[in-house]
Amino acid sequence: MASVLFDHVWKRFGDFAALKDFHLDIEDKEFLVLVGPSGCGKSTALRLLAGLESVTEGSIFIGEERINDTPPRDRDIAMVFQSYALYPHMTIKDNIGFGLRLRKVPRQEVERRVSDAAVILGVEGLLDRKPGQLSGGQRQRIAVARAIVREPRVFLLDEPLSNLDAKLRVNTRAEISKLHKRLGTTFIYVTHDQTEAMTMATRIAVMDAGIIQQVGTPQQLYDHPANTFVAGFIGSPAMNFFSALVTESEGHLELRGDTYSVRVPLDRAGEIRQFKDRELLFGIRPENIHDQEFVPRGVNAVPIEVVVDVTELMGNEVFLHLLAGENKLLARVDPRTGLRAGARTEVLMDLERLHVFDPATTAVLVSASDA
Amino acid sequence: MKKRALRIAASPWLYLAPALTLLSVFLLYPVTNTIYLSFFDRSSTTFVGIDNYVYLASHPETIIVLRNNLMWLVLFTGTTVTLGLLLAVLTNQVRYEAAAKAIVFVPMAVSFTAAAVIWRFMYIYQPVEFAQTGVVNALLGLVGLDPVAWITNKSVNNLALIASGVWMWTGFALVVISAGLKGIPTEVIEAARVDGASETQIFWYVLLPMLRSVVLVVAVTLVINSLKVFDLVYVMTFGNYDTDVLANRMFKEMFTFGNFGRASAVAVVLLLAIVPLMLLNIRRFRREQ
Amino acid sequence: MAVNEHADPARTHLETPAERIVRRLSRGPLHAVIIAVCLAWMTPTAGLFISSFRTKADIATTGWWTALVPPLQFTLDNYDHVLTARGMGRSFINSLLISVPATMLTILVAALAAYAFSWIEFRGREALFLLVVALLVVPIQLTLIPVLRMFANFGMTGSFPAIWLAHTAYGLPFAVFLLRNFFVALPKDLLESAFLEGASHFVAFTRIVMPLSVPAVAALGIFQFLWLWNDLLVALVYLGGFRDVAPMTVAISSLVSSFGSEWHLLTAAAFVSMVLPLVVFFALQKYFVEGILAGAVKG
Repeated sequence: MASVLFDHVWKRFGDFAALKDFHLDIEDKEFLVLVGPSGCGKSTALRLLAGLESVTEGSIFIGEERINDTPPRDRDIAMVFQSYALYPHMTIKDNIGFGLRLRKVPRQEVERRVSDAAVILGVEGLLDRKPGQLSGGQRQRIAVARAIVREPRVFLLDEPLSNLDAKLRVNTRAEISKLHKRLGTTFIYVTHDQTEAMTMATRIAVMDAGIIQQVGTPQQLYDHPANTFVAGFIGSPAMNFFSALVTESEGHLELRGDTYSVRVPLDRAGEIRQFKDRELLFGIRPENIHDQEFVPRGVNAVPIEVVVDVTELMGNEVFLHLLAGENKLLARVDPRTGLRAGARTEVLMDLERLHVFDPATTAVLVSASDA
Repeated sequence: MKKRALRIAASPWLYLAPALTLLSVFLLYPVTNTIYLSFFDRSSTTFVGIDNYVYLASHPETIIVLRNNLMWLVLFTGTTVTLGLLLAVLTNQVRYEAAAKAIVFVPMAVSFTAAAVIWRFMYIYQPVEFAQTGVVNALLGLVGLDPVAWITNKSVNNLALIASGVWMWTGFALVVISAGLKGIPTEVIEAARVDGASETQIFWYVLLPMLRSVVLVVAVTLVINSLKVFDLVYVMTFGNYDTDVLANRMFKEMFTFGNFGRASAVAVVLLLAIVPLMLLNIRRFRREQ
Repeated sequence: MAVNEHADPARTHLETPAERIVRRLSRGPLHAVIIAVCLAWMTPTAGLFISSFRTKADIATTGWWTALVPPLQFTLDNYDHVLTARGMGRSFINSLLISVPATMLTILVAALAAYAFSWIEFRGREALFLLVVALLVVPIQLTLIPVLRMFANFGMTGSFPAIWLAHTAYGLPFAVFLLRNFFVALPKDLLESAFLEGASHFVAFTRIVMPLSVPAVAALGIFQFLWLWNDLLVALVYLGGFRDVAPMTVAISSLVSSFGSEWHLLTAAAFVSMVLPLVVFFALQKYFVEGILAGAVKG
C-alpha cells in the first residue's frame, strides 16, 4: 500500500519555519494537490517526501514505513520537476531508463519498459534525440515518462505545467488526470494554480505560510471554505469581501456598510441574527451577483446600490467591476447585460450564497447554504 | 545623407587600424618571418633546407627537450585537471568554499619567476648528514627517507619542476571547473538522486559528462601552457640536468649559442604542436556563434 | 560527491549534540582532504615569506619552520639590502613603468577594435575576428627574433616604448576577444535607439558602450596588469641586456643565476615582487576571476 502520512512535520531553515506542524494523511491511489502561493511551503513538503531535504521534526511514512532517514533512492518514489531536469548529455531513451539501469534491471527489460512508457506518453519517435532538441511540451512528457517507467509507489509532481504555454497546459492537465486513472498510483501534485488544483485533484490541501489551511475535495473547498484565505484563493475570479455591521430594525436584519446596506432574506436571518451588532466580514462569489434584468430562475436576491466602474466582456460572460461606496465588488453576469461603465444602478446579491467570516480570526462563521 | 552613410561605412577601419597595425607588425609578419628563417643557417644568410629540423629530431640533447615537453604535456595537464576537478567537487560541499578556492588560486597571481624561487627553496638539498632546510626533504626525513637532490637528480627533477607547475595552475582549473559546476541545475542532480543514483554514481554519470566541455577548455589551456612552459624551467634549472624544454631551448639557441636558424626551427616546432589546438579553438568559437 | 545535500544550514536545528557529532565525523575525511590541500598550497609561500625575515646564517643551517618557535628572531635587513644594494627598488619602479602604460594602451586599442567587431557591420568581419581567435594561442616565441631585429634596426632595444608596443600587441588577441564578447552581449535596443536619435559610432562607443563595460574593462585591466607584471620572457628578450630598465622578474632571475644560494636575498626579492600582485588579487579577486573565466582559452 502506498498511502503517505506526514505526521506533524516541521521543517526549519535557520530561524525560518517553512512547514509548521504539517499533518496530512494521503490515501493510496489519491490524486492530492498541494496548492498555495509561492513560498507557502508546498514544494518543501514535496521535497521532504522525496528525501531532498531532511525533516526537522515529526515523521513521514510511506505505507507503514517511516522514511525520515531513508535516502531518496530507497524510497521508491518518482518525481517530475518544474524544470523537467532532464540529463542534457543523455539521449531520451537513456534519460527514461537511467533509474532502471541504476537498479541493475536487465537490459532487455529496460528497453521494453522504456518503450512502453514512451508509447503511453506518445514520445516513441523521440527516443534517440537529446533533450536540447525537444520542445518544452515534449520535454515535459519525457520527464513524466522517466517518472512512470519505474512504477513507483508514489508519484510526485512539482509544478509540472508551469513552463508550458496556456493552451498546452489545458491539454496536459487532462492527460495527467487520465494517467492517474490508468496507473492507479498515489499522485502528489504541487501547484500555485488553483485551476489546476480544482480540475485534477481528488483532494486538495490549501497551504499558506507553512500551515495547512484546509483539506477537502474541490467542491468542499469551493462551497465551504474554512477561512478567508481559502475563500479568496479557491475560485477565479476571487470571492468578494466586504465588512458590514449586522443590525436589526423593524424586524428586518440588515448588513450595514459605510455607504450601503443590504437586507438579509428571512430564510438566512436565523443563522446570522446571532451576530447582531457585530462588525463581520462577508464573502460572496462574483457569480452570485446578478444584473437585475437577468436573474436566473429560483434565485432569491436582494438589491444593492452600485456604480459600474469597468466592464470586461469575456464572450460567454461579462465581468462588472462595481463600486458600492468605497467597496469594490466584482460581478460575473449574463453576457446580455446592458450595463456599461458609469452606470448607477442596483445589482442583486444572492445572499443564499453568502459566507460569513470572523474578522479577528478569519475563520468561517457561516457557510453558504447548500440549497 | 550620402556623406553620412559614407562616413559610417568607412569607420570600421578607423577603429581597427591601431589593433591591426600592431598585430601585423608584432605577430603576423614575425611569425611568417620566423618560419622563413628556420630554413636558414645560424646568421640567417645561407639557405640550409630542413637541416635545422633534422638536427632537432636527431641530436640527443634536443630529443630530450621533446621528451620533456611531452612529459609536461601529459603529467602537468593530467594532474592539474584531475586535481582541479576533484577540488571543485569537494569544495562545493563545504561552507568555507570561497576561502579554500582563494588559497589554491593565489599562486596564479604571482609570477612564475617568484614561483621558481619558491620551489627551488622547497627543494633545497643538503647532504644526508646535515639538517635539511628544504620542506620537501625535511618531510622525507620525517618518514625516515634519505633526502633527494630534486633539482639535479635526473630521474626526478622533471617531476619536481612539473609539480611546481601544478602548484601554479591548479587554482585556474579549480576556478573554471567550479564555475561550470555552479552552472549545473540543482534539479538535475536531485532528479538523479530520486532516480536512485548514489553520490558516486551522480559524479560519474551526471556531473562529469555535464562538465565535459568545461574540462575540455581547461585541458586545452593547460596543454598550450605545457608546450610553452618557459619561466619555471629558465629560473629553476636553465634547462640543465636534462630538464630543457622547447621555449627555453629556443632562448638558449638565440642568446647562448647565437644560432638563429635553429632557434627559429624550435619556435616553429612549438607552433606546429599548437596548431591543432588553435583549430579546435576556432571550431568551438564558430559553433558558439 | 554530493552537491548540496549537506550544505543546508538548517540541519543544525533541533539536532541533538550526539547527532551533530556523528554528522561532523562522517564528513571528517572531506574536511581533512580540503584542509590538507590548503595547507600544502600555502606552505611554499609561507616558507618564502618567513625566510625573508631570517638571517643568512639561520637560513643556511636550519629550516624556516624552526623560526616559528620562540625565541623569535626576525630581521628586516634582507629587504633593506635587496631594495637598495641589489637595485630591487629600481626594478619595482621599472615593473610599474612597463606594466601600467602597456595595460592602458592595450585596453584602448582593444576596445576600439572590439567595438568595430561587435557594432559596425563590414565585409570580412567574421574572418578577421577568427584571425584574432587564432592568434590567441600563437606562442610569442614565433615573434622574438624578427621583432628583436626590428627593434635593433630602429635603435629601440632596451627602451620602454619598445616593450609597451610589444606587450600591447601580444595582449591584443585576448583583450579584443574578451571585450568583443562583452560588447556583443550589451542590449541591442540601447545602441539602436542611440543610432536612431542620431548618435555617431564615436558617441555610441564613448557614451554607451564604454560606460556599460566597466566590469569587463576592469577584469581585463587587472588581468593584463598582472600578466605584464609577471612577465619574464618578453622583458628578458627585449630589455635583457639593460640593467637599469630591468623589471623585477628579470632582476630576480639574474639574482638566481649569480647568487643561487643566497637565500636571504632571493626570498626577500621574490617577496617584494609578489606584494603588489597579492594585494591586487585579494582586493580585486572578483574581477581577476572574471578575467580568467572570460579568457579560459588564453595560452
